[in-house]
Amino acid sequence: MDGWLDFFTFRDANVRYVTLGAMLLGGSVAVVGVFGYLRKRSLAGDAVAHAMLPGICLGFLLAGQKSLPWLVGGAFASGWLALLTIDWLPRQARLKEDTAIGLVMSVFFGAGILLLTAIQHGGNAAQVGLEDFLFGRAAALVGSDLGLLSGLAVTLLLVVVVFYKELALLSFDAAYARAVGFPVRGLEFLLTTLTVLAVVAGIQAVGVVLTAALLVTPAAAARFWTHRLPLMLALAAGLGAFSGLAGAWVSYVAPAMPTGPWIVLAASALALGSFLLAPGQGLLARWWRQRAHRRKFAEENLLKLLYKMGERRQDHDRAYQPADLPTGQAPAQLAATLRRLRAEGYLTRRGPGWQLTPEGYERGRRITRLHRLWELYLTEYLRLAPDHVHDDAETMEHIITPEIEQELEKRLRRPEFDPHQNRIPYD
Amino acid sequence: MNIRVEQPAVEVHDLTVSYQNRPILWGVDLTLPQGALVGIMGPNGAGKSTLLKSMMGLLPLSSGYIHLFGQPLAQVRARVSYVPQRESVDWDFPASVLDVVLMGRYGKLGLFSRPRQSDRDIAHDCIRKVGLENLAHRQIAQLSGGQQQRVFLARALAQKADLYLMDEPFAGVDATTEAAIVDLVRELKQQGKTVVMVHHDLQSASRYFDWLLLLNQRLVASGPTHQVFVPEHLQEAYGGKLTLLAQMGELMKQGNYPAREK
Repeated sequence: MDGWLDFFTFRDANVRYVTLGAMLLGGSVAVVGVFGYLRKRSLAGDAVAHAMLPGICLGFLLAGQKSLPWLVGGAFASGWLALLTIDWLPRQARLKEDTAIGLVMSVFFGAGILLLTAIQHGGNAAQVGLEDFLFGRAAALVGSDLGLLSGLAVTLLLVVVVFYKELALLSFDAAYARAVGFPVRGLEFLLTTLTVLAVVAGIQAVGVVLTAALLVTPAAAARFWTHRLPLMLALAAGLGAFSGLAGAWVSYVAPAMPTGPWIVLAASALALGSFLLAPGQGLLARWWRQRAHRRKFAEENLLKLLYKMGERRQDHDRAYQPADLPTGQAPAQLAATLRRLRAEGYLTRRGPGWQLTPEGYERGRRITRLHRLWELYLTEYLRLAPDHVHDDAETMEHIITPEIEQELEKRLRRPEFDPHQNRIPYD
Repeated sequence: MNIRVEQPAVEVHDLTVSYQNRPILWGVDLTLPQGALVGIMGPNGAGKSTLLKSMMGLLPLSSGYIHLFGQPLAQVRARVSYVPQRESVDWDFPASVLDVVLMGRYGKLGLFSRPRQSDRDIAHDCIRKVGLENLAHRQIAQLSGGQQQRVFLARALAQKADLYLMDEPFAGVDATTEAAIVDLVRELKQQGKTVVMVHHDLQSASRYFDWLLLLNQRLVASGPTHQVFVPEHLQEAYGGKLTLLAQMGELMKQGNYPAREK
């Protein structure tokens, strides 16, 4: 418990730096990532991050030591060059964009590894720790780094706020943006620069290999929860910042744990959670809807069956035992369906049997009517053979709305019989 | 046939447009009258959308120029409104109907400034005109194809332009939407606006348009519908591509030749 308390009071200056730095990074990188996600350019971010390694190494070679401005400057330059190349190649060389991304990523990263290896065997003692840029060095953030990072983060957020309208239109419909006279080239250039800046900020914490996760994952997670762009941006920032906090906390309570990968894992867990739990679009919500549909189908099929059995006997005032109902459902399932229909007021018990209430009778009759109307519609309007229409009507009878029902009746002129010469029952 | 008009809404002069060095449109010359409903028609690959996009300044021109209301596009941009093809964007974008229609005001607003209440009022008004007032806050992914097309139309209306360029507004829409678009476009015409649209359906062409362009890699005919919509011109437009022209285009693409020596 002490770990919790010590961490969240931020008494330790180092904890403060690492946590704040990680949160700022997570949040601001995620905001820029939203636009990459919406423009379907997420993969380009990954390439840019990998492409920064040679720049970092060159920066080190030029400065002769690990001076942050040189390293960051080098990273920015080579990342930016990479992204411009990714934009330029498909236009000039008739390569597809995915090919361009793959090419740029591997060529730049290969060059970076080459330089890094050369530096490591070059005998310069100052190189120790340079390989941290591969997987990040969040735990080593100090006060001066934080200054630079927060400067970057605030710049990113400010630019996104100022250019919100332009960036949104660019992401949705670039051709229209050009048609209304926006400087689309300039805006694309701005977004490119923002992405590179975001990745530069990100490699401090999570390294060139994992930074793309900070760009993509919070944006993807946020998309599950909202249909509104401002909210999506805020959510992505929140999720990114929370991932930063979680990563910093894990590496604090378990010092052997690396911060950067835990930030990425936290973000991925949030994305996975969103994928499962988000209302409406989440897996669970969809599964729940399907379950509701299955139940509704089973219930309506049973009501229809009871109605049709009464119709055949010309006696709707009868109770049936579950064993007499040819539903195709397993006994336990059938029992559950019967219980639900009783709770909803469509069935009532009479001794050992089950009987339709007036409401149940009406609903069973409606489903039967819809089934037969749809069969007739298919034979009359689509000219399907009468023996081909039953299966389709089995589904449609549950979906047809009252408005469509009215329209069907009108178009078919309130017909008396279906294609199988069964009488269509009306109110 | 190529009927010229005085004070045209659109003047296209010696226009050649290429894609990857292959000319799509060859040497098009034409003028379109103000206040007309103009249909651009022709077979697949005839260059209809290319012509429209060129008018909107979205494609580099290999030769020639286009003037709108007697001036280059940059001078009259505020008077021109564009409706792209519905499939040109991803409708899964996180935006509402109102968000998209407000984009029609962005050109007037310029950079940096936010939409004002007056822009919002105009947007709502345009949403009402296309009959989507009950869906103003609906997410655009949840709309039918026809409703999405009407969103694009409302966005163009919100620009309050004098010339409307529409790329296949009737493609894949329901009967309600088609009727709504036709009514709207006729209303625009009554207000003296010019509407130019790419259109596919020959059957409705003579009912909808009072001026017709027939294209097939080059201009086949331009003039009042009753003069253009005759078997002779239709046969020339739809009777197949000019094979020599297509072969030359292919050679230019393969050899990376420029369309003009310059």
